[in-house]
Amino acid sequence: MQAERKESDRQVSQGSFRRFIRRPEIGAFSGMVVILLLLAIVAGDVVFNPLGIKNNLSIISQLGIIAIGACLLMIAGEFDLSIGSMIGFAGMSMAMMLKWGLPFGLGEASPFMAFTLTLCMTLFIGWLIGNIVVRSGLSSFIVTLAFLFILRGLTEVSFREFNDGSTQISGLPDFKETDFFAYLFGGETFKWVFTLLYEMGFNLNRLGNQWVIGLDAKVAWWICIAIITYVVLSRTQLGNWIYATGDNKESARANGVPVNQVKIGLFMFTAFCATIFAACQVFDTNTADAAKGNLKELEAIAAAVVGGTVMTGGFGSIVGVIFGAVIFGLVQNSVFYISWIDGSYYRVFLGTVLLIAAFANENIRKRITGGI
Amino acid sequence: MAKTAMAKTAMAKTAAEPLVKLRGIIKKFGPFVALNGVDMDIYPGEVHALLGDNGAGKSTLIKILSGVHQPSAGEIMVDGNPIVFRSPRDASAAGIGTVYQDLALNQLMSVSRNFFMGREIFKGPAPFGMMKLKEMDIITHDEMIKIGIDISDPHQAVGTMSGGQRQTLAIARAIYFGAKILILDEPTSALGQKQQMEVLKTIKRVRALGNIAIIFITHNEIHSKLIADRYTFLSLGEVIGSGTRESLDGDDIRRLMAGGAEMADLEMELGKI
Ligand SMILES: Nc1ncnc2c1ncn2[C@@H]1O[C@H](COP(=O)(O)OP(=O)(O)OP(=O)(O)O)[C@@H](O)[C@H]1O
Ligand SMILES: [Mg+2]
Repeated sequence: MQAERKESDRQVSQGSFRRFIRRPEIGAFSGMVVILLLLAIVAGDVVFNPLGIKNNLSIISQLGIIAIGACLLMIAGEFDLSIGSMIGFAGMSMAMMLKWGLPFGLGEASPFMAFTLTLCMTLFIGWLIGNIVVRSGLSSFIVTLAFLFILRGLTEVSFREFNDGSTQISGLPDFKETDFFAYLFGGETFKWVFTLLYEMGFNLNRLGNQWVIGLDAKVAWWICIAIITYVVLSRTQLGNWIYATGDNKESARANGVPVNQVKIGLFMFTAFCATIFAACQVFDTNTADAAKGNLKELEAIAAAVVGGTVMTGGFGSIVGVIFGAVIFGLVQNSVFYISWIDGSYYRVFLGTVLLIAAFANENIRKRITGGI
Repeated sequence: MAKTAMAKTAMAKTAAEPLVKLRGIIKKFGPFVALNGVDMDIYPGEVHALLGDNGAGKSTLIKILSGVHQPSAGEIMVDGNPIVFRSPRDASAAGIGTVYQDLALNQLMSVSRNFFMGREIFKGPAPFGMMKLKEMDIITHDEMIKIGIDISDPHQAVGTMSGGQRQTLAIARAIYFGAKILILDEPTSALGQKQQMEVLKTIKRVRALGNIAIIFITHNEIHSKLIADRYTFLSLGEVIGSGTRESLDGDDIRRLMAGGAEMADLEMELGKI
């Protein structure tokens, strides 16, 4: 007679490669590899040199920061279309304080004060948006679309009102040279890597001196935010709540998950990400512009989708959204290195990638929720 | 009303003190009276079948018992003490575990993440505490084995589980988190024959634990006869009959399930169409 068959006998053990290719991020990962290979072939010399790496990572990390915010919110089942306007608003707020001093004539603003006050405002707006969404039950698409207009309008009005009619501020003092806090956002990181490269003879300019000093500080911000959110999402109680909220709000609530607080918190987190984005821009370039951040919210959402985040919530990962940001940033930046194609093709390409990714994600979702 | 009250006093002699008593529960949705003065007694270690037509008010009654709705009037007593549930949390703190018609499971999440959803085991400051994923996997697996289902992979997404497995997960979860009263709203609907039997077996195993009261809503006469110890029949928001398995015979059950109509009448009505 045959030995008794157990349930665990039905589980065929799989090698690590099989498990690897079944991971949900695999699509985005292969996309990234393909693009890196293509770039190496057609424009390897301009993309894979120290300056190319610095520039690419600058674009990638900038998008990556807000894409992580958009991704977490999307996993919890909501959208934030106000990210781009929030970037403009935060940049305006910081630059105006730096130029014209603190509000109510409280004197000069240090970079730290300007950033902190701005962050308080943006977090409050995020909190407000979150509260409106969870209390009214309106779609976050509409609520945040409203704030897209409101914040952009307020930014322009404030500029005209307080900045002698101009919607730009330029020529701020170079705070990152004198102020450590400003240096955290506008300075450079990973200098040691480039020093090492220089000493090994890879990082020379025409005169034979060191060419690239380091990466932009936003790369470090991106990496930090990615690591922290990765741990939070995959390992902590809050992470479980975020997934549960986006998957099925009612069942999460019935099991005691504080669904509303999770959502409000995540709206505040996207506002935080937008503020970091703006701070890096202001302290790096010493300028601000009412039009900054335009359309960034859509790029952030697109990068999250390309990274495997499901539009209806409950599914997605930080690793995926990192790949998504790399794909988006690389394509956006590198098409301009390839002189023989029209730069605007990058939009065509990205649109196509987005569509493919959305189909793939939906397939994964259907496979899992397929039926009883 | 008088008849059911009599049946109840007869019952009280045969069993221990009820775990939960409902007295005169009324629930109005605006002008609509969904429940009109419902009395019910729930005893530990028994399966209590709650039967009745579509729209009779069964789900509404258990939603009141599990804190989702507040009654417009009437009283809930747990262990003899009157109690008010303001939220599902209150009810679950009082030991009432509900397995909803939709099971309150999240399809995209894994078995063990669902098991501990909202009540994760973690170390460190909430809500940023690190979950003890290993421990959660082991507990999930052990608790489900206890009531009869061996899951081979605690990371499987719930959406890919069979209906019977999902039911077992939801029931195991409720019991693990201290349910003394387990409420099952149509646990066998939407399941195949074999899986329906799996669920009935699960209910039997829970009953065998001895101290847990089970309220079981169903439209299936055979199922209720297979496992119920006690019956309550609802029709149009009122109790039209109740009693133990011994005190009711098959015809009674069939008649009361159809809202009090005689089988012969139904046959005649069907014949006319
Ligand atoms: N939130 C509500 N607002 C208004 N009416 C409601 C509400 N919930 C339930 N009802 C009504 O109360 C009555 C009882 O509904 P309930 O869901 O309790 O029925 P049920 O006995 O569980 O039926 P079924 O067997 O079909 O599940 C129905 O007529 C229903 O339309
Ligand atoms: Mg019902």
